[in-house]
Amino acid sequence: MTISKTLTRGCLTAALLSTVAFTATAEDYTITVWAGGTNENSDYRYEAISMAADILEREAAVRGEDLSITVESQAWSGWDDFKQAFTLASEAENAPDIVVSGHEDIGPWSEAGLIRPIEDYVYFDVWPLNAIYPNLIDVASYNGQVWGIPQDAEARVFYWSIPALKAIGWSEDEIETLPSRVESGEFTLYDMLEAAKAMQDEGVVGDEMGFAPRVSNGPDYWQFYQSFGGEMVDPESGKLVVDTAALTGMYQFFVDAVDMGVVPATWLGSEWDMWHQNAAAGNYGAWHGGTWHYAQWTTQFGLENFFDTVQYSLIPSGGEGGRANSITHPLVYLVTSAASEDEAAIAAELIAIASEPRINALHAVKSAHLGIAEAETTVPLYAEDRWLTAASERLAPHTNAIPNNADFGIYWTAMFDGLEASWTGVSSVEDAVADVEAKVTQALGDNVIVR
Amino acid sequence: MSSSAEATGGVARAARHPSTDRPHRQIAAARPRISLFGALLLAPALILLTCFFLAPAVLTAVFAFTDMSTSTGIGKGQYVVTPNLLRELADAGLSDEVAEAVSVETYTVDDAGLEAAEAGGVDGRFLKNIADRLNGETYTAAREFERALRGLPDAPRSPRELKLAAEHFGQSVLNQRFDTSEELSATLAEVAPNVSEETRDRIVASSYTGAVWTTENFHTLATQRETARLVANTFLFVSATLGFFNLSLGLFLAIVLFYMPKPVNSVFSTLWLLPRITPVVLYAIMWKWFTWEGGFLPVLAEQVGLPSFNYMKGSVVTAWITMIMVNGFIGASFGLILFSGALRAIPVQQLWASEVDGATRWQQVRRIILPQLRWPILFVTAYQTLSLLSAYEQIWLTTNGGPGKTTTVWALEAFRTALSNYSGNLEYGLGAAMALVLVIVGLTLSILYLLLFRFGELVSKPRIEF
Repeated sequence: MTISKTLTRGCLTAALLSTVAFTATAEDYTITVWAGGTNENSDYRYEAISMAADILEREAAVRGEDLSITVESQAWSGWDDFKQAFTLASEAENAPDIVVSGHEDIGPWSEAGLIRPIEDYVYFDVWPLNAIYPNLIDVASYNGQVWGIPQDAEARVFYWSIPALKAIGWSEDEIETLPSRVESGEFTLYDMLEAAKAMQDEGVVGDEMGFAPRVSNGPDYWQFYQSFGGEMVDPESGKLVVDTAALTGMYQFFVDAVDMGVVPATWLGSEWDMWHQNAAAGNYGAWHGGTWHYAQWTTQFGLENFFDTVQYSLIPSGGEGGRANSITHPLVYLVTSAASEDEAAIAAELIAIASEPRINALHAVKSAHLGIAEAETTVPLYAEDRWLTAASERLAPHTNAIPNNADFGIYWTAMFDGLEASWTGVSSVEDAVADVEAKVTQALGDNVIVR
Repeated sequence: MSSSAEATGGVARAARHPSTDRPHRQIAAARPRISLFGALLLAPALILLTCFFLAPAVLTAVFAFTDMSTSTGIGKGQYVVTPNLLRELADAGLSDEVAEAVSVETYTVDDAGLEAAEAGGVDGRFLKNIADRLNGETYTAAREFERALRGLPDAPRSPRELKLAAEHFGQSVLNQRFDTSEELSATLAEVAPNVSEETRDRIVASSYTGAVWTTENFHTLATQRETARLVANTFLFVSATLGFFNLSLGLFLAIVLFYMPKPVNSVFSTLWLLPRITPVVLYAIMWKWFTWEGGFLPVLAEQVGLPSFNYMKGSVVTAWITMIMVNGFIGASFGLILFSGALRAIPVQQLWASEVDGATRWQQVRRIILPQLRWPILFVTAYQTLSLLSAYEQIWLTTNGGPGKTTTVWALEAFRTALSNYSGNLEYGLGAAMALVLVIVGLTLSILYLLLFRFGELVSKPRIEF
């Protein structure tokens, strides 16, 4: 009886201990990933994390560790809803572990303590992070810390309809040399308006279809500010810059475009689908978008013979004092404060693995984004992609990013409000610029330079 | 039930015996007894009222006087000294020496550090490596010290573990988050002992990341040009929707249906309720199908040779008409229900008598119906004004305030400012200030309407005793 009791106790203790031991060695993690501005073409933003989880589990198994990672992902096609969801979920302590968002969110989110500096969890001098372009690491840095790992890069593009240019009498050579003439500043935005008007007059494109800008707010509109010589941030002091002359030039340009009848006064707020359909069908004379739109037009909107029908260049200069330019808007992987220390460490490792050239190339090629590392351009899948190679050569070297500044959102909102007001004729260009200046200086005081 | 009966009884008794025992009865009338049971019955309503009306209104008022935004966060802030903060302070007169002293990073491998690391649970073998190979060394940058640690044979694989171990050997105030000002102040005193207390306090005060009290939101609203545009848009939206749909159409439909045979009346009444009972997203999508390129109206317009375009967003005028109609048809059904009920309460004998006297339909409406609908009309006006002032969902889902911002009303702008915009810069404080303005306008209008309706008379005890 005593023996049996002792045995039973012994067995129970052993069973309990073995359970504890098993629990101690087996590590189970559920990592949640939220990605903004993500559609079916860019699903590798979160699929790459799942692939990385598989690799990390295998690596752990090789080391004799038992690691199990479940990746749960959620994607938002837009930005407003996504940023609202993440911000409010973070305040409610219900945020995901990894978030994929624009680099400009690092400023406000880090100040509010919603994200962790990823440099605390990874080494940037080891593979694959040491292969990432240094300028992209800079874009993911703020306040002297690296907060995120670049997920992709891009260039924004000015597209031109080759058949429409031919129809108004442009020679093959003129069309061929257009990108270099744009780059040098010889061919300006106003030259583009003239060409667009000629296309309409010729009947090649419909009324108010000569020029089709982005239909909603986006970093794209900062390009036009730069086209007229504007700087978003003062390189020396790091302060935001409101260049009233550049804003005036930019607003006046769109007002003039409306007056010339190449774009409607009610353009802003119109529909993306309609824009994509018309762009892919060659119904516009000139339009601007991103490198990634190529993927959407060719896979979803039936665009064929892109290189025969579409010329592409930087965003032209606005004239004297301006410059041709293109904005890159890299998305970054960020580890949130909602993750525990252990989860954050795992999340950071997953992000590092997902940044390996071969994995990132899947995203780059599928979504027509630019790669994050030189080594990625040698991955066959990437190297064989004509569009990425072409965009990398012609556009990428001229790109710059919007600033990482916690106050930039205030300036951005004011800039777009002014653009909407002047474009629709609700206020004059002068009043719109004065409103931007008043709003930004009132909100930011000495932290902004007005020129 | 019992309490109200008792209270009514008390009042009734007081009315019956005005001359006897007057002071006592007056007190009874002024202060009806409230039983515990009655209070219990009221409790759920009071709790709901507090949670869903009073608390949000009070919180809105509180937020309105702060600079709360995405950057500050909603909860309590922390204290962080960042390079950007030091730069801003330098612009405001902080000396370079102080900025340099505050941002210094020093890591020293000594006995104190080793003890702290041991107490902090750093792996023994790794600690021995540190003691053997790095003892006495000093590093002036975290990254430099971490590189040295990584070179040790028993260094942990995890970067986080290594960086946590490094923290035991040094102190840096830069980019560290402190929960209280005292903690930051104490650390600053250790890191930069030569910095005066006054300067330290200034740095600490500036380093707060949370929201602070301010009246700047109201100053912004009072001075920005956009305010006038938003007020004008809101006024146009409310008055046009109310005038053309909620009142006129609602009243017209109620009167027309009133004169129709009952089965027809029922069918049309139900049909007119569809906009109200249809889920708002579905309702918005149906309007898109109706007004967008390729939709019903543009196709029809094309057939008859009229301009065909996206009527919802393609022109300012059609966007306004669409926006008013989208909201108006919902509002019209509200008026329809109320006016229909009121019409049925009119004694039908009055209409019969007027017909005997040879009155036309229009005379019946003008002389009998409309005078007796005065109260419902005023009620619909009052209620729907308040409702439309705060309405933004349908606008958000249809025109989204566009083209440009031409159809943006106050409530939509408040929503966007506080909760939903492209740049992700959610300005909770400014948005709350805008919402507070709506609350104040709503309350003011409510009081005006109560006076206008003579609410006191409506709820006063009946002159006929039951």
